[in-house]
Amino acid sequence: MMSKKEEGHSEPVWNLAELLERVDNDQELLRELLNIFKDDFPQTIRSLQSAVNSEDLKNSSRLSHTLKGMLSSLGATPAAAAAAKLEALSSAGETGSLEGAFSALEAEARRLLPELEAYMAEVRH
Amino acid sequence: MKILIADDEALSRRLLERTLDRAGYEVIAVENGKEALEQLCKPEGPRLALLDWVMPELDGPGVCRAVRTRSEQTYVYMVLLTSKGSKEETVLGLESGADDYLTKPFNAEELRARLRVGERILLLEDRLVEARENMRFRATHDQLTSLLNRGAVMDLLARELHRSHREQKSTAILLGDVDHFKHVNDTLGHVVGDEVLMEIANRLVAAVRSYDFVGRYGGEEFLVVLNNCDPAFAPLRAEEIRKSISNRVIQTAKGPLTLTMSLGLLLSSEWGKKPIEELLHEVDIALYEAKAAGRACLRIAKSRTPVESSPSPLPQTVRLRH
Repeated sequence: MMSKKEEGHSEPVWNLAELLERVDNDQELLRELLNIFKDDFPQTIRSLQSAVNSEDLKNSSRLSHTLKGMLSSLGATPAAAAAAKLEALSSAGETGSLEGAFSALEAEARRLLPELEAYMAEVRH
Repeated sequence: MKILIADDEALSRRLLERTLDRAGYEVIAVENGKEALEQLCKPEGPRLALLDWVMPELDGPGVCRAVRTRSEQTYVYMVLLTSKGSKEETVLGLESGADDYLTKPFNAEELRARLRVGERILLLEDRLVEARENMRFRATHDQLTSLLNRGAVMDLLARELHRSHREQKSTAILLGDVDHFKHVNDTLGHVVGDEVLMEIANRLVAAVRSYDFVGRYGGEEFLVVLNNCDPAFAPLRAEEIRKSISNRVIQTAKGPLTLTMSLGLLLSSEWGKKPIEELLHEVDIALYEAKAAGRACLRIAKSRTPVESSPSPLPQTVRLRH
């Protein structure tokens, strides 16, 4: 299944082709990585949200960094970029811009998750 | 080859682990810098490392700095992983002691190629260490027999005498000389002479314990040091060593030869704290006595009391043995 291009976005939400290349077409590894993501992502983003809400710059920077690594390894480039932006703002101490950047990251995540779910459902058969 | 991966983020760590596992590496994966440092400090620890820049406890550059301060250990080739990649960061990473730098998300082919560079560097280091060890061996061993050379065996003897004096034990010093060796060289040639010396060296090493020393002292002279040797048994052991030469023919290119050895023996416990030169002189006198008594026998250096005031009863001139 190819990732869809959505309106207003030049980049696919999830570059499956790139990821498949990275895992050397190892479907089993790909499933394993998606499972790790499913386990780790929700908790990390929840912790990030509370860090952003309480203007905890240290944790907001650390957690957005973790998400950035996770998302970029997965080939979810736009979401990784949103996490990178939040990390940069946290490191720079731009407390006023954190909420907005977090919402942008959440929006990217909302576009990404259904694609991952759909892929997982498909390969299970 | 072992490789260490340090990344606090599970997904990236698993991806790296599998990629390197497939490339044939023996992968050790850890979650933070502190664990990474522990692994890299182990004696047989990995010599290749992929370190994430941002990690809890100790970050990637911190691991690099800590590893580089231990100069005595073998080289570890370290690659930093980061998602950023500004010039300033590259410089900072390399200055912390990293050998290379990769940006995430990595490309599997590039990663493998860069690790091969690391392996080449490590191979180069192995060769240098091997060359150094060879030179060290050559500096302390006799080329023909591979026994310790004169300088090395005397160093070890000096150390051993010190220790046995301190621990009130006895070291037995044996000086052996192959009887009529010049005759072998003159009649059968130096090639056969060398064969004889090599065989004698092998027999001497086989006749002592692993923690004793055997050295080539001169042309056909051998120095054997029996560490922590009970004075009551030393003459018996010396006789065994002497017989290990004479009880079997030595096979040479020109046929079998029967050779004997004359031996001088000295027990350090009977001499108090004397300089090594003096002890070697005394054991040399004992060897001369064995030669004078008809060769193929053992003589024990006898402490003449008081040693300091009595002139040596034997001539101090250079003696020739055949």
